[in-house]
Formats: sequence, structure tokens, C-alpha cells
Amino acid sequence: MADAMIEFRGVTKRYANLTANDRLSLTIERGELMTLLGPSGCGKTTALRCLTGYIHPDEGRIFLDGKDVTDVPTHQRELGMVFQNFALFPHMTVRDNVAFPLMIRNLPKPERERTVADALRLVRLEGYATHYPRQLSGGQQQRVGLARALVYHPKVLLLDEPLSNLDAKLREEMRFEIKEVVTRLGITAMYVTHDQGEALALSDRVAIMNRGQLEQLGTPEEIYESPRSRFVAEFIGLSNFLEGFVQAVQGAEMVVMARGLQVSTPALPAVGPGQKVLLFLRPNEAEILLGEVPAGRNVFEARVEKATYLGDSMDYRLILGDGADLRVQTDAAHRYAAGESVRVLLPRVRSWAVTD
Amino acid sequence: MTLLRVYLRGLREGRFILGYTLLLSLTLFILAPFLMITLRSVGKGWFGRLWLPPQLTLDWYRWAVEVGNIPEVMKNTLIIGAIAVILSTVIGIFAGWAFGRRHLPGKEVLMAVILLPRMIPPITYALGVAKIFYTLELVDTHLGVALAHVSVCAPYAILVLSATFEGLDERVLEAAGVCGANTLKRFFYVVLPLIMPGILASMLFSFTHSYNEFTLTLLTYGPHTVTLPIRTYLAVGDGYWEITSAMAVIMVVPSLLILAIIQRRAKPEKLVGGFKGV
Repeated sequence: MADAMIEFRGVTKRYANLTANDRLSLTIERGELMTLLGPSGCGKTTALRCLTGYIHPDEGRIFLDGKDVTDVPTHQRELGMVFQNFALFPHMTVRDNVAFPLMIRNLPKPERERTVADALRLVRLEGYATHYPRQLSGGQQQRVGLARALVYHPKVLLLDEPLSNLDAKLREEMRFEIKEVVTRLGITAMYVTHDQGEALALSDRVAIMNRGQLEQLGTPEEIYESPRSRFVAEFIGLSNFLEGFVQAVQGAEMVVMARGLQVSTPALPAVGPGQKVLLFLRPNEAEILLGEVPAGRNVFEARVEKATYLGDSMDYRLILGDGADLRVQTDAAHRYAAGESVRVLLPRVRSWAVTD
Repeated sequence: MTLLRVYLRGLREGRFILGYTLLLSLTLFILAPFLMITLRSVGKGWFGRLWLPPQLTLDWYRWAVEVGNIPEVMKNTLIIGAIAVILSTVIGIFAGWAFGRRHLPGKEVLMAVILLPRMIPPITYALGVAKIFYTLELVDTHLGVALAHVSVCAPYAILVLSATFEGLDERVLEAAGVCGANTLKRFFYVVLPLIMPGILASMLFSFTHSYNEFTLTLLTYGPHTVTLPIRTYLAVGDGYWEITSAMAVIMVVPSLLILAIIQRRAKPEKLVGGFKGV
């Protein structure tokens, strides 16, 4: 899987008072499902629209299957796209919607009908060929959108927040359906979303964007387990942050003094005593210890400030050290009440050097 | 009759009496002239203080057609109407596209100028039009009268089609492009079907305005371009009330037909809004 299907090379797009894409370089391999993830205004939609040809970048080139398509008009780029608001043709039946790309390409009628039937079967809408979009539910409309995008076997499939207009339960269902279809066809796909859950569940790789630039690129595991910056950590999953100073470095470990706590964490390259660092851990990475436990590495006295029952888990706000806040999520098997004193173990704390 | 029933029930239950009475009076007030000309057009020997004509006849209609030359006049009216409809709608499509789709600088000012001919007293505008048309030798031509009508028809076409284009979903056009349609195919397969309701509404409005237009016609017509309103007005001058009434009734029939079409076949808001994606 070493050949690039989509390649952004230093793509820059400026608007009057903001730079939507700032020298964005990104490669999507053949057969890969890549998600562009980021808050609104991070430039992910601009990048997508540069790829469709709806926007022309100010600088940089875009390659599709090894060919420079920067100056190729949209209708010649051989793309399939699924839209947030479905963007179906309201005056056409489901069949005509799906057949539209084939009709434009002058495919003979018998072949067209067979291909459309196949596409409708792929999204389980065989019985709806003569319906109009307005007669379908949101989920069904989006499946029509998917069939229309895939029917002419485009080089790549683009998905622009395809699940944002659906309700929560359907969103989860459709997530797996899209993943399954894309995997089955082995098509290269670029998925744009601001929903981290979708990104983690769907993608082969995730590209996190911030202010027009690539913040981090990696598999869902890499992004979640080792976020490269506070921005990524905050955007993906829940996080605790604690600022402190390095007290001592001992081989591969260093001790950080933060809010009266002596926290051990893997040493950072080129970080010595006195340096300011930011500690980070996920709420589900802390353990509340049962019974009398001797003090040890990263075991701290804490007081339960607030306990919230979430059904399958408990969510605690703990106060430890000289008032440091820590959010901890554990299973609901053993529960603690607000006001109780507990001991908490932080087995895995990561850190970044802070430069300011 | 429903109105009457509601009124009677209101009376019985002692509610809304004042409101209903006013409403009924207003309805009568609006309908009275229609009633008057209809009776006039079929009455014979109806003089003095009689409530109803003593004898009914269709003679006045025959007179209107033969002496008033109504077929020729109707032909003029329809030709002028058709030209005005086509020109206004074409203008409406282009201007509506610009107003509805594009971020135009000074959009409000432009819109105000376009609406101007409708806002000022028609006679002032008609005077200017007549002066120009005399110079261009457009007076007493079908095209000339139709062009004068366009100045009042086009604003409506533009208003309706601006709203239609505004209602057009940008993403649907984008989708058509990604699907492989070039500009021309996008227009014919997607844009045109979606704005069709707006085009039909604009044609209907334009025709009605051209058909009804009096002031602008009065200053641009000639012996070859007499329209129905003008012919009727001239007949009044000749003093034949019965024939004038018959002409008026003939003139009202197409208007009522159009009104019926609008009421039954199309919801006005649907005509203006066009289709929406979801």
C-alpha cells in the first residue's frame, strides 16, 4: 500500500482575513479511509472543496491517482461525494438520483439499470426505487446519497460530515454501514468530520487539523494513546491536564512536582530539572484503590468531590495535592460517595514540555 | 355558502357579529361592480329604477364582437401579452439568478430601482416611455407596447425568480458537478427543473399584469395595437354602456380562469419558494 491516491502538496487557501489552508501537505494511500478531523473553521472543509474543485487553491497542487488535477474542473475529476444535507436531486426518484452519474456518462440503458439496481442493493434500498427523496427518512436519504456516489465506481469517495444531520442512534448504525461498504469495495475514501467518535471508529488513519494546518496524523490508536499536543488530547476523548516543574531526571524516568504532588513520568528528550511541563492522563487511566494501600509510585491521597452515576461507569471529581482537580472514570462495581477519602493510582502519565 | 353558515352560527352563538358583518359588507362592496356590469351586459330595456332588467339578451355580446372588433383586439392583447411574458421571464431568470445566487454589491439599491416603475404614479413613467418610443418609432407596434409592459411585468418576474433561486440548494448543484455534469448539463437536468415552478409563476404574474395594463398602453397604443382595456375604455367614451359591459365581462373571464388556476393547482408560496432539498 505504498502508492498515493490523493495528495495535497503545500495547498494554501486564503480568504480576506483568514488562511483556511496553510501549506497543507497530506497523502492518502490507495484503499485507505482517511478522516480529516477538526473543529469548525479548522480548514477541513476547505481542503475537501479544493479536492472537489469547488475551490481553487491559491498555492500548492493537488494530485489524484498520480495526476495533477489542480486545474481540472470538478465534473472531470471522477469523484463520488456524500453530503451533510444529502444534496439529493429533489425532483428525481431514488432510481433517477442514483442513475444520474451514469446518465451523464451516457451509459446504455440496460447496463445503467443493472448498475443502479446493484447500487441500491448495496445500500439495502431495493424497494425504494420509485420513491422521491422527500418520502424517505434521513438515514434512507443518506443511503441514496451513498449509492449515487458509488454507482459509477469513482476513484475516491468523499464524505462531508455525512452523519451530522441524523439522530444519535442512526448515526451509530450508519457509521458501521459506511465502514462496511467502503471496506467491501476497497475504495479510497476521505471522510471529513468534527465528531471524534466517528473518526476513531471508521478510519484507517486520522488527520487532525487545526487553524489550516495538520496537527497530527496517525492511526486512531496513535492519536488517542499518544496525542502530540494539548490540542489533540483535548479534541480526542477526555483529558486531565496538570502543570508542573521537573524536579529530577533519573534515567528513563523523571519526577515532576505539580500542585504538591510528586508525579513520576517517562522522561522527555532534552528536558532537565526546572523545566515547566504539562502532565496529561485520561480519566479512565486512573485507578481508585480499595482498602489500605501503602504509598507507592504515583499513589496519592484524594478526596471525592463529586460522584456521578453514568450507568455503566462512575464519574468522579477528585481533589488531590494542594487542590488539583482530577476527573476519573471507573466501572460502577464499587462506588464511592462524595466526601470520602480514597487513594488513587495514576499508572500512566504522559507529558509535554511547555515553552513560554 | 360556508361563509353564510359560519355567519349564521356566529349570530346564533352571539360571537364575532361585528366582524362578520363587516366582512360580508366588504365582500358585497367588492362584488357589487361585477354584479352590475354582468347584469348590464345581458339586460334589455333596463331603465329607471327597476331592480332587475325586465328582459335578458345576448345581443350586446354580438355587438361587442362585431362592432367592437373584439377578436382582433383579443389577438393584439394576447400577442402583446406573450411578448411581455417571454421578455420578462428571460430578464427575470438572469436577474433573479444574480440577485438570488450572487453576493452583489449594492443589491438593495438595484432592487429598489427595478421596483421603481411600480412605486411611482404610472402616468409619470408612461409619459417618459411614450416620449422615448415616439423617437424610436416603437409606438403602435406590438413590440413597443409589450416593451412598455415589460417595465411593470419584469419587476414581478425578478422578485419571484430571485426567491426561487435563493431557495435553490447550492449543495445540490455541487453534487451534480461532482457526479460529472458540466455547467450546461447542470443547468438543464438540475437547475431548470427545480426553478420551473418559479418560471411558471413568473409567467402567470407577467401575463396578468400585461393583460390588465392600462396607463402604459394608453400612451403607446395606436390603431393597430388596441388592447382589451383600451377598447373597453373607448367604448365608454362612445356612450354604449351595455356594449361596454359586455366587453368588460369578456375581459374578466380570462382573469378569473387564471385566478382559478392559481387557487386550485398551485399554492402561491410553493410557486415562489420552489423545491427545497429536504
